[in-house]
Amino acid sequence: MTPERFETLAEAHGGDVARWPAAEREAAAALMIAQPILAQGVLARAATLDVALDAWAPMAVTHELRERVIAAAPAARRRNRMAAWFWGAGLSAGLAAACAAGLAVGVRLYDVSQPDDAVSAALAGYDDFSAVVTGEDA
Amino acid sequence: MDPGDGDEALLARVAAGDPAAIRSLVARKLPRLLALAGRMLGESAEAEDVAQETFVRAWKQAGNWKPGGARFDTWLHRVALNLCYDRLRRRREVAMDHPPDRADDGPGPDRGLQARDVGRRVAAAMAALPDRQREAVSLCHYQEVSNIEAAALMGVSVEALESLLSRGRRALRAALADMVEP
Repeated sequence: MTPERFETLAEAHGGDVARWPAAEREAAAALMIAQPILAQGVLARAATLDVALDAWAPMAVTHELRERVIAAAPAARRRNRMAAWFWGAGLSAGLAAACAAGLAVGVRLYDVSQPDDAVSAALAGYDDFSAVVTGEDA
Repeated sequence: MDPGDGDEALLARVAAGDPAAIRSLVARKLPRLLALAGRMLGESAEAEDVAQETFVRAWKQAGNWKPGGARFDTWLHRVALNLCYDRLRRRREVAMDHPPDRADDGPGPDRGLQARDVGRRVAAAMAALPDRQREAVSLCHYQEVSNIEAAALMGVSVEALESLLSRGRRALRAALADMVEP
């Protein structure tokens, strides 16, 4: 490897030869042995940029993001579907119960609204009385 | 350890709905994907959206993954990068309608080189790179993807990748000259 190639690689891949293309590392190591001062100078200069770049820390994963991602996973979807089924079933059961209760109340109200015999008789009497008051023929 | 080791076994368990496998895959990949999206888009809600959307696609893919084919880690990176480019394209369209004020990312007189500022300076310098150079630096420096894999991800030759890296790093060095030059 020529010193120029060594410099080109350092410029592109930084000051850590372990992160250079695998196919070039052996030749680079040979040059580092043959010309250590030159190699050290090139690598040190490239490493200053590496250090600066590493000062930019990656974004941190928040708890909320992690949970959102997990919630969309296959198992979570299945659980959600199951929850939806149970919810749907519960709603259906609730509606059915409400219908049954409504029916019972309706029947009861119907029962209440139906005059018993005494009331019917009184109302029949009232009809007769109304006819008298209004002068209608009974 | 290669970040892709054991992915296929985990994926099979994910497809079967194994909660531990899901958490393990998320712990393994989410930080990497969010980091990549953050480098490409800047630290933003958009970067989180990209990471989340990438996982939505991964969950759909888990049951259909063919062992022995493409590496899952590479596939994830490709999906995330495509989503990043979608958003960068949208930003450009918006920017053409409403040009943003130019941010001052240089070292002002009262802007020292304190540790907390260096990261911001680097972020600004990365944001100022052309997209392809930023992608190359993100993949090779930050994601520690090999040059062959990065070139494949970007759809360019290894030589073209090297050129993108060199130009990107030169621009970064120039932007950060007060920090990196002796």
